[in-house]
Amino acid sequence: MGCGVSKNSEFNKRYDKVKNLRHVLLKAMKAAVLIQRWYRQYAARMEMRRRYTWNIFQSMEYADLQDQMKLYNFLGYLMDNFTPSSSERNLISHIFRENEVCRDAEWERYFSYINIDVPDIYSGPRLTFPLDMDQVADLVEAFKNKQQLHSRYVLQLLLETWKLLRGLPNINRVSTCHSKEITICGDLHGQLEDLLLIFYKNGMPSMEKPYVFNGDFVDRGKDSIEILLILFAFLLVYPGDVYLNRGNHEDHIINLRYGFTKEVLGKYKLHGKRILKLLQKIFSWLPLVTVIDHRVLIVHGGISDTTDLALIARVDRHKYVSALKPPRKKTPSRSSLYADSERFDEMNICKNRRGSMTFPRPLGTRESFQRRSLQDFSRTVARTVEEEFEVRRRQAEFSMSSFSNSQRILGSAPSTESEPDSSEIIDTGSDDWKQILDLLWSDPMSQDGCVPNEVRGGGCYWGPDITEHFLNRHNLQLIIRSHECKQDGYEFCHNRKVLTLFSASNYYEIGSNRGAFVRLGPDLVPYFVQYQATTLTRGLSFRQSLKRTEHTALKVLREQLFVHKSDLLSAFKELDKENTGLICLSDWANAIERVLQLDLPWRVLQPQLVSSTTDGMLDYHGWFRDLALKRPSSECIEQSMLETLYKHRSTLETIFRIVDTDNSGLISFEDFRQTLKLLSAYLKMEISEEVINELVISTDTNNDGSIDIDEFMEAFQLVDKIRLERGKSLLKFKQEYQNLPLEEETSPSADSTGPQISQCSALHTEDSPGSHTEDCSSSKTQDLCDISVVVPPQ
Amino acid sequence: MAPKKVEPKKPEPKKPEPKKEEAPAPAPVPETPKEPELDLKSIALEFTADQIEEFKDAFTLFDETPTGEMKIRYAQCGEVMRALGHNPTNADVLTVLGKPKAEEMNAKYLDFETFLPMLQHISRAKDQGTFEDFVEGLRVFDKEGNGTVMGAELRHVLATLGEKMTEDEVDRLMAGQEDANGCINYTSFIKHILSG
Repeated sequence: MGCGVSKNSEFNKRYDKVKNLRHVLLKAMKAAVLIQRWYRQYAARMEMRRRYTWNIFQSMEYADLQDQMKLYNFLGYLMDNFTPSSSERNLISHIFRENEVCRDAEWERYFSYINIDVPDIYSGPRLTFPLDMDQVADLVEAFKNKQQLHSRYVLQLLLETWKLLRGLPNINRVSTCHSKEITICGDLHGQLEDLLLIFYKNGMPSMEKPYVFNGDFVDRGKDSIEILLILFAFLLVYPGDVYLNRGNHEDHIINLRYGFTKEVLGKYKLHGKRILKLLQKIFSWLPLVTVIDHRVLIVHGGISDTTDLALIARVDRHKYVSALKPPRKKTPSRSSLYADSERFDEMNICKNRRGSMTFPRPLGTRESFQRRSLQDFSRTVARTVEEEFEVRRRQAEFSMSSFSNSQRILGSAPSTESEPDSSEIIDTGSDDWKQILDLLWSDPMSQDGCVPNEVRGGGCYWGPDITEHFLNRHNLQLIIRSHECKQDGYEFCHNRKVLTLFSASNYYEIGSNRGAFVRLGPDLVPYFVQYQATTLTRGLSFRQSLKRTEHTALKVLREQLFVHKSDLLSAFKELDKENTGLICLSDWANAIERVLQLDLPWRVLQPQLVSSTTDGMLDYHGWFRDLALKRPSSECIEQSMLETLYKHRSTLETIFRIVDTDNSGLISFEDFRQTLKLLSAYLKMEISEEVINELVISTDTNNDGSIDIDEFMEAFQLVDKIRLERGKSLLKFKQEYQNLPLEEETSPSADSTGPQISQCSALHTEDSPGSHTEDCSSSKTQDLCDISVVVPPQ
Repeated sequence: MAPKKVEPKKPEPKKPEPKKEEAPAPAPVPETPKEPELDLKSIALEFTADQIEEFKDAFTLFDETPTGEMKIRYAQCGEVMRALGHNPTNADVLTVLGKPKAEEMNAKYLDFETFLPMLQHISRAKDQGTFEDFVEGLRVFDKEGNGTVMGAELRHVLATLGEKMTEDEVDRLMAGQEDANGCINYTSFIKHILSG
């Protein structure tokens, strides 16, 4: 009876249900598509930020290398312009002090560890020689637990290493017989975490597991000495299975600038200097290249069109102590300066120096210094600098770049191991010298040919044709080199004949890049493993860690903008013909591109660098105010002076640290003054006593006549106003519109949520790995790393 | 002058609506139920010079050719467009590229001049989806009507429906969004996506 009706309504009900379901499904689908689309856009924006952040870091590395040149040039100027009678001589000769001990026999005594007592409370490893594997494993474990090896054992280990290295050839020869796979690692730069990660993933070196380490073990990272000790320990235990190549950072003058010297002196206050001295010798005895199966060349930097392995096999590699100090050959010369310096230094042999290098002198000499006006200085400098430029221009062999000219000047500092003859000139033109520089400093380029590497100041840029020619000539099939940071840890070029391998992950900043190592078996097919040490980013999302990286990159970029302030201002003024104080954003971008000469996407970066515009026009004076130094100018100290000091702050800091002989972090007022005067003379910039006094007073909070180096340098930070403003307005936006408590943005080191002036530096110290102590036991390496394995197609 | 076209409202959200054109060249292909053929050459560029400079900067960022030839792979086209603030679907991108085959995506390259009209076309899409659209869509999965959805369910949906996301992509998106019970407050989730 109601059958048909109920059947109908049943049907209708079911039909409705299905229609409903379909409707629901469609809605779900629509939502899914929307979310997917938005996610993909979000991911693309992240990717863009990641890419330009990487570009910024690469550009900054370039700019930083320019800074390095400034240091070299300054040091060269110092050596060239001061006669023994000037009172700065002490300061300068200290900078180049080489003369504590000069005979080999005395080295044994100097480096002796026998009298160093190890106190009972020392809980670190106590090494006995000859070392065995158990001890080395203990050593690694100890370093994992942040222990420090006692200086007695350090010296002992280094002495053994020195002995061993002296017996090694310039070219390591390795074979993959017995089906051994060889593991090759690139730059480590003091990043112990990465080395531990490699060992965790790949196993430690042993007879079954040979390793090649391709240089740059030290500098920048904070555990350089620990890395060295581990590598040397393995070398001692497995001398036939561990191979070390020298990198350009295995060089004591480079170490002064990039942190290794500071690290050692900080960790080993009593014996640090001896350790460094011994390391100087060890570095010079490190082999230069490694060849696997006569087929694969492993070298730190690269090659040039003149690289010849036969020549390299024959050089006296230990003569090349530093890239800045080419060895000398005997010829009649500019004798007076050197003869004097030689005599002068002889007088200072074994003199015990403490504290200020400018020890009290009779009044007469002080006065004579002051009487010599800066104009005199300037004239002398101007002449010399110009002459220098002329010489450079006239150089036929272009590879004698400004770098090697500085060396020429610097080479006048007596080297302890060279011939005692005092009248020598520098032999920068020699084949040997150039061969070694090329091996350690060169970079590949995509164009054919070979040109001097003016960015680094040493070595060459070499092209695919050079690679081809070189490989054919020496019957090789692949060059593995390091020296350049690569985002994925490794990169092929030159038609897969050149491989760049970089093993320091997060090199520029956390999240900036991965590290990689490679394994080669008898088939010589490379097998890569990439990784990224992530202890510090655990708990941070990808977005958060990108934010941090980006923040650092932008900070560094802003510093560069500040350094070029005066040039930028002129460029802006040129475009602002009517002097309105405003320019359009397009002009802004063009001007910056022209002045900075950095290949960066300025228009894309603009929102990050410019806080506000009106109608698309930027008030550039206001913008510069936002890029100010923390230390404000005063009546004595003009903005331009501060800016110049800022430009050369790394040089200044390096000199301060050299002068700080007892590594107290303080230098005397007199040394401070002398350094500033020297720098200002070199820069042809007048710096009066009032200015120096004012600089001193404003930093000398101790009022005891000493200056805290860190405090002084601290003032050369830029105020991060733009980010401050942005942080504040973002906070406001979030609180109003979204009505949410801040989630991830409140993580301690990420965003700015308050008007802290020293915000930048606070962020910076938090970022530095040393401050994270709770994650010390890297036995949690499992969740430490993000590892992927790649086998490239042949 | 081209005749004004009255465009029917499109049923699917995927197809972008072309604007009325002032172009002297023949107007774009008229609407049919099938996918219309896209004639890139007929698209007039409405970007300003400044904008084009900015696009160039971004384009260069994605240029991976060893000698910096200002070219990107087909597979990167979508990414670059999104980086510049648009959000086409993958299907949109394929359309604008001329429906390339799968193996062409990584083998064929696109230069900047060819890219610009594609970008122009994509930029005209109106159907961006509002906050409410998102919420409505997610509400479907809100079984208890309490403003949350199960993370696992959302993951499943995103990975199986529409333009499927990979597991990695889903992980990235959902990082830190699920609470202790695996639930997601979808209003805040959407705000998170929209704020990028």
